Amino acid sequence: VRVYCDHAATTPLCDEAWHAMEPFLRERFGNPSEPHAEGRTARAGLDAARARVAEALGTGDEYVVFTGGGSEADNLAVLGRLAGERGRVVSTALEHPAVAGAARAAAGELALAPVRADGIVDVDELERLVQPGDRLCAVIWASNLTGAIQPVREIAELCAERGVPLHLDAVQAAAWLPLRLDELPGELTVAIAAHKLHGPKGAGALAGRGVRSLARVLHGGGQEHGLRPGTESVAQASGLAAALARRVADSELAGRSAALRDDFERRLEDALPDLQFAGDRIARLPGHSLALIDGIRGDALCALLDDAGFAVAAGAACHSAEQEPSAALSAMGIGRARALGALRCTFGELNGAADGDGLASAISTLVPALRTAGAAVGA
Amino acid sequence: MRLTVHDLARAGTLDAPDADGAAGGSACGDQVRIQLRFAPDASFESVRFGVLGCTAASAAAAWLAERCEGATLLEAARLSLDACVAAREIPAERHACAAVALDALAAALADALVAMPVVPRGARIAVAMSGGVDSAVALHRVLARGDDAVGITLRLWIDPDAPDAARACCSPEAVRRARATCHALGVPHLTLDARDGFRETVVQPFLDDYQAGRTPNPCTTCNGDFRIALLAQTADRLGAARLATGHYARLVRHDDGALVARGADHAKDQSAMLARVPPALLGRLEFPLADAHKHDVRDEAASAGLAAATAAESQDVCFLGGGDLRGFLDRHGVDLRPGEIRGGDDELLGHHEGAVAFTVGQRRGLGVAAPEPLYVRSVDAAAGIVRITPIAGLARREVELVDARLHRPVSHVRARLRIHMADVGATVEATPDGLRLELDEPVFAVAPGQVAVLYDEDGAVVGSGTISR
Repeated sequence: VRVYCDHAATTPLCDEAWHAMEPFLRERFGNPSEPHAEGRTARAGLDAARARVAEALGTGDEYVVFTGGGSEADNLAVLGRLAGERGRVVSTALEHPAVAGAARAAAGELALAPVRADGIVDVDELERLVQPGDRLCAVIWASNLTGAIQPVREIAELCAERGVPLHLDAVQAAAWLPLRLDELPGELTVAIAAHKLHGPKGAGALAGRGVRSLARVLHGGGQEHGLRPGTESVAQASGLAAALARRVADSELAGRSAALRDDFERRLEDALPDLQFAGDRIARLPGHSLALIDGIRGDALCALLDDAGFAVAAGAACHSAEQEPSAALSAMGIGRARALGALRCTFGELNGAADGDGLASAISTLVPALRTAGAAVGA
Repeated sequence: MRLTVHDLARAGTLDAPDADGAAGGSACGDQVRIQLRFAPDASFESVRFGVLGCTAASAAAAWLAERCEGATLLEAARLSLDACVAAREIPAERHACAAVALDALAAALADALVAMPVVPRGARIAVAMSGGVDSAVALHRVLARGDDAVGITLRLWIDPDAPDAARACCSPEAVRRARATCHALGVPHLTLDARDGFRETVVQPFLDDYQAGRTPNPCTTCNGDFRIALLAQTADRLGAARLATGHYARLVRHDDGALVARGADHAKDQSAMLARVPPALLGRLEFPLADAHKHDVRDEAASAGLAAATAAESQDVCFLGGGDLRGFLDRHGVDLRPGEIRGGDDELLGHHEGAVAFTVGQRRGLGVAAPEPLYVRSVDAAAGIVRITPIAGLARREVELVDARLHRPVSHVRARLRIHMADVGATVEATPDGLRLELDEPVFAVAPGQVAVLYDEDGAVVGSGTISR
């Protein structure tokens, strides 16, 4: 029996999303741009999906651009904002590579605000860095690594005061937090992805008032205000809309996941007293837990847990021969050895009440054995 | 990638290991250790591994430990990276991580070799593997005869500060290539760490010679005083009566013992490098490339698909690692002795940055403008003075040799006075300190410290000695 504790990586399609998608894969196959009956029925589906997403995010229909996923939405937000000019961008070390990479590639100057030890961006420093005339401020709404929730209202306000457009990467946050875009001021864009909340992969959106002032990045037809040319996938859009609406309506999942996560962390701390958890314990996505374990490598522990029936993620990516911890953990002041021992467990809908226990007990059995192997090399 | 809970049963250390090997700790920080204990039947009864590394390194270490248990040393020495990554489904971009575990096993097996009871000498043949194309083809030819072979690589030198460390013949890449070549041919491979002995026997005398103003032949010293003897000793432990190397040289066997002789490819001939190999060892040696030409060897390697087919050619002096001599000497503590350049009448002609890096007969790099070409006539390292002369001032008809050996009673020889120089007829005469050569014609660049190799008319090495004057 497998226990899946990697919800932040992806989730399976829910029934609601599947039922919303299915008609558009076969019988309502038309091209939404065509005026004939087949086109009109597809167009109606697309409009309905857009309205649903707009409502769930608290924004207007005209401010929703469907994309092929979260990374694409992030790229569009950054590249479309810079519009080929190498302007100044302010961001953080917490960003997903979709934002960080696009900013590095396209910005003329990139300033990164420091991150506190609790995984939350130092807003005072960010405020100092953001200057009128900056092309963009880009901040992750909640960290994909620690789950730490960033003070987006304060950030939105300080950007609005300076007239600087703000992009919030909400790919993780959208699965857990109500995103009321109408309550945030300024020229705002927000990226979301369907598959993190039981929608289809390859479906995402960029939403918010700021989308209307973006320059086009891809060339083609005029679909999605010209920002996402190409025949729209009504099925993907409908799957995203259904999954998002379902998640917004679920008032119990967050509490249940947080209880499971907290129970897991308590048991793990009892078994391995030298272990630490990264990120603020309160301002954190309910399903996220990032454990820092000394004397082991997180990815090797992942492989062993996989063998024992648990799907979890290593907290630090290891690219080919160079094993480097994530920039986010370094920015939080976590040393290399400890960062390489990071393990990310993310709970959610697929978990039963006993899963936290089971996972904690597997980890506390495997870690000492793995430490024995590590101690044998004199580490 | 497959790393299982079951693997952890072999994680840790042994109380009293017979062998212990570790590797890693560089670029990626992955470290692997493997410990082995022999059963009375000389198979490994207990194996433990340690690892602090990624899944690939961990899975590879675990697989090697699992496969070593119950294996003999030579069976363990056949465990290949290819088999390991296939068994543990390690993707190509992580093979370098798995290779760290193979390095650790290689170190453990070298250690085990010392602890293992000596195997009685049999038909087995040991093949010296450098990671280059020549030794790979030598092995290929030995196997084509149906021989039972074992590959041995000596790790002689690692100089991470060298400008081109990867080109040096004992780079980690070269060792891994040697291992991969053996494994691809199903041959067990052992890597011996011979760095301490190499430094003491070859590199230190090399540095001392330069410090004293002489120009040494480290390859001749290495083969003669160190490498071949160590390989033969290792072959002994493995029960290999014979030892093959990839040198371009022949052996001529007489009733009174074997002699090294020129190889068929005169451009590549390496007989001079082997001139100081003790005659007692020559009887056990084989040179499968004796009749080969370099281009045939490359073709053969390519058509056999040998891993080393495209390896960069190693250099005359392997440990220089692509660097200049002066930089190497400086890095290893030789006092370069900057000073004056003086002419035949002791007149001051210029200055140089280090006397010790000059060689008698050298023309380039003097930085002295003159109507006719000028050459180094002598190097006074103590005073830092390099004396130069027009070509006529270099001519020599007499050469004194010390530390000389004659394997056959001869009175007239063909003498090669430096590696890349045509040989010259010479009459040999014994002196209290060694030998004196009366050259049939004048020779223009006789550098003290170089080994003079004495050939008979058939190209066999009948003697040698170090030029003293």
